[in-house]
Amino acid sequence: MGMQDIWVSAAWVLSIGSAVGCVVYGALHWNYAEDEE
Amino acid sequence: MNIPILIVVVLLYLGIMTALMVLGYRRTKTDADFMVAGRSMHPWIMALSYGAAFISTSAIIGFGGAAGLFGFSLLWLTVLTIVVGIFIAFAFFGPRIRRMSYNLGSDTFSSLLGNRFQSKALATYSGLLIFLLMPAYTSAILIGGARFLQDALGMPYTTSLLLLGIVIGLYVMSGGLRGVMYTDAFFAVVMLIGMASLLFGTYRAVGGVIAGHSGLSALTSLVPEGLVAQGHRGWTSMPALGSKLWWTVVSTVILGVGIGVLAQPQLTMRFMTVKQPRSIYQAILVGGIFIFFMTGTAFIVGPLSNLYFYQTQGQISIQVAQGNIDRIVPIFVSSIMPNWFLYFFMLTLLSAAISTLSSLLHVQGTAFARDLVGTLGIGKLIPGASTTVWAKLGIIIALAASIALAYILPANIIARATAFWFGICAAAFLPTLVAALYWPSATKTGALASTVAGSLASGLGYLLLHEQEAVAIGLASRLLGRATLLPFPWTHIDPLIYSLPVATVTLVAVSLLTRKPAVQHIENTFRKVA
Repeated sequence: MGMQDIWVSAAWVLSIGSAVGCVVYGALHWNYAEDEE
Repeated sequence: MNIPILIVVVLLYLGIMTALMVLGYRRTKTDADFMVAGRSMHPWIMALSYGAAFISTSAIIGFGGAAGLFGFSLLWLTVLTIVVGIFIAFAFFGPRIRRMSYNLGSDTFSSLLGNRFQSKALATYSGLLIFLLMPAYTSAILIGGARFLQDALGMPYTTSLLLLGIVIGLYVMSGGLRGVMYTDAFFAVVMLIGMASLLFGTYRAVGGVIAGHSGLSALTSLVPEGLVAQGHRGWTSMPALGSKLWWTVVSTVILGVGIGVLAQPQLTMRFMTVKQPRSIYQAILVGGIFIFFMTGTAFIVGPLSNLYFYQTQGQISIQVAQGNIDRIVPIFVSSIMPNWFLYFFMLTLLSAAISTLSSLLHVQGTAFARDLVGTLGIGKLIPGASTTVWAKLGIIIALAASIALAYILPANIIARATAFWFGICAAAFLPTLVAALYWPSATKTGALASTVAGSLASGLGYLLLHEQEAVAIGLASRLLGRATLLPFPWTHIDPLIYSLPVATVTLVAVSLLTRKPAVQHIENTFRKVA
């Protein structure tokens, strides 16, 4: 990644990865069961 | 500055903002509309409003500038704000807060805790913390917004401060949470376009991702000696483990804000505004992207500005900004982006300030109406006045306090007040909130003791131990004759690190020793929660 430190490279990758993870999680739960009231 | 273009852009912006305020006003008819947006908000509006309320101008300018000084290590805060502030908050806390607040008829953060633990004392204490301490955080955001208007439009500071405060106060009072969330969503879209454009523009300016990172790694020898002595090892490296800089970056910036976000009353309120749990899950999709482009951009642009300034001017960012980290991001943006973008970026920063301020004022107003007036019986003073009327009065008081504080507080208070508020919230509210949602056997005495112990431990930490605040306040030097009660590393460990365990242990220990809540109340509270 061009960084000096593996921890900083990890933060860069994880920040993008976690945002992508949120997109996937949201999409997978798109039709989550309604809470009947 | 191209005045005609600026006028058109600002008028268009104000026109959309006004239209959304009017829409919020027309759709606000009941107390429930004013307090929790009628519990019927669209999931994407909720997600964008949550993000816009979370990210203030100081998060972009202040934290972006801090990243220009400290480096890419701050990206861990981006990871935490997405994983903790969005994923954990939305997937684990959100659906339970929504359902439990519905079961208990709660429409504020404090009334949720109070009703869950059947404790008026807990609701009142939490409401007091919010109503008395939040103006400090509100005024910090107000100062940031007013300074920005002063610099961008050449307006006098007092005029900027009053204009910003009065405009926001009026629209929060007229449109309630509906008006706040509609305008928040618009502001969030402006912020998203502005920050995403800045991220791509920055990587283009430094030759791409790998070239930019490698080029910055090669500048390690340029780190100022004072920062090297504190543990700085380059902009693409973590600070030396256990150094002063490491404790500041990890405990205050990364953990303090990254964990503190979970217990922010103005953010948890958002979960009460949607009709279905699936709205909250759908909102995760938007929330993750939004927070990445806000904090991620700030923490990537800040460090890379060093490379750009070195290549073009032979100086690192802090030298170009003449020692003021708050100027790093604005100078960098005006250096690399086209003129038209500067107007848009101005609106991005204005949106960040207004959206956070409006949310803070709303939560203070509702805390005043529901948790102080409602529980202390003050409502009898104005017979027939609805909760909304009291909330509007609370908003006026909170706004007046924030404007007054904005005159009194010192110039460099913005980042400190933010960290202080996030730290107090996490220590006072987080263990109690987690127990409220996940531990049916937690007792009201345990919850109250935890909230009091957490807020006291955190407050004493800032007053006597944490150097940055303790020195500014001066209590330790007056009482003990030295700047702080204990030596390093306590001077650089954020109070959250010890006050959160204090509050957690207190909650568990007292709950195990005191009378369990009634079974019927727990069944009603947790109905359809899991």
